Amino acid sequence: MKTVFRLVFLIAFIGANSSLIMAQWPTYPTPNVPKTADGKPNLEGPTPRTADGKPDLSGLWSRSAGGQRGAAGQAAAGQQGQRGQGPPAPPPLPPDGIPNATFGNAGQGFKDDLPFQPWAAELMKKRRADNSKDNPDALCLPMGFLQFHNHPEPRKMLQTPGVLVMIYEANHGLRQIFTDGRKLPNKDDIEPWYYGYSIGRWEGDTLVVESTGFTDLQWLDVRGSPMSDQAKVIERFRRPNYGNLEIEITVDDPKAYTKPWTVKVNQRIMLDSELIEFICEERDASHYVGAPGAPK
Amino acid sequence: MRIRSLFVVAAVFVVIGASVPLIAHHSFAAQYDRNKPVTLTGPVTKVEWINPHGRLFIDAKDASGKVVNWEIELGAAAILTRNGWKKTDVKIGDTLTITGSLAKDGSNLANATTVVLASGKRVFAGSSGGDGPTPNP
Repeated sequence: MKTVFRLVFLIAFIGANSSLIMAQWPTYPTPNVPKTADGKPNLEGPTPRTADGKPDLSGLWSRSAGGQRGAAGQAAAGQQGQRGQGPPAPPPLPPDGIPNATFGNAGQGFKDDLPFQPWAAELMKKRRADNSKDNPDALCLPMGFLQFHNHPEPRKMLQTPGVLVMIYEANHGLRQIFTDGRKLPNKDDIEPWYYGYSIGRWEGDTLVVESTGFTDLQWLDVRGSPMSDQAKVIERFRRPNYGNLEIEITVDDPKAYTKPWTVKVNQRIMLDSELIEFICEERDASHYVGAPGAPK
Repeated sequence: MRIRSLFVVAAVFVVIGASVPLIAHHSFAAQYDRNKPVTLTGPVTKVEWINPHGRLFIDAKDASGKVVNWEIELGAAAILTRNGWKKTDVKIGDTLTITGSLAKDGSNLANATTVVLASGKRVFAGSSGGDGPTPNP
């Protein structure tokens, strides 16, 4: 029986890491990958650096296991009401004490969920009861920066001296973070954009990105946690070694939340693969049906 | 004992295999009913290799026994491609057996959980819901 457990564990491990194993299209090897003594990719190898000595965040990144649990969380978010179950207990906190946000639920790691303002809590509950049918993602629109960080499809980061560009495979999303020293404009001087306006500066080996100027249309997770046009977001990007990217995110949005809150998203390098074209063609949304009792 | 062990391993493999390609362009529950499983068999009339969902069309019997054209939703073409599938893995006229979940609105639309060729070969593993009639763990 012990052998069976080992085998089950091995298969579960392979399943959990299959995004790396299956990422074989097109077969074109990623260059300059550090290798272990036996020639395998060494994801714990040294952090790549640019000419000025800063960590190079460039690469094709896939969300890590914490985000994948969020997919199940998304299904759970849509089913809780129907099954009459209470919310699941939050998973144990990571060693740094910052809860992981998941694709389905940004507040999954919080004991008492996100600190919603009452209207925001009601809106999220309504969106969840509607089975998330109005999620911008379902309409081929930009889904919100936190959903993008946790999306199961990869994103490519291109770091240049003046701008960091993030290309999301999902819905062909595109975000730019200016790192040329400019200041964050006054919020009222920026047209509200889906992706907001982002500037980044280095604090040691951490890229600190400030963003504002958002529309109030984005959803932070599939269940529909809102973010308003009053939001300011701080993201702290770290690449502690070759294969891992850590993003610590603080959302300061007094319109939608009673206090700022901080979550984390972990991503892992995806080797020997590429972004694949994803032109989103949602031609027929007429099949969407809300929860029982909701209007068609 | 050995048979039981193998069964456990196989069950875990099936569950993981079904859940890995989970793609969440839209909420599965907004469009499909996991409590309405369906099995459809018939020839392919069209393959659409597009995002956010690939689609197959097959001629198969509806609940009344009448042969109608069914639209079958798959995972995103980008994901299917990354997982090694090609549009040409299924050809027009191939007989397929598809299991999945029916649309809530009662139309001839289903979300595929499995797509199996007449030879028994399973293709396009994983659906856009990934969570057909059997809920994910």
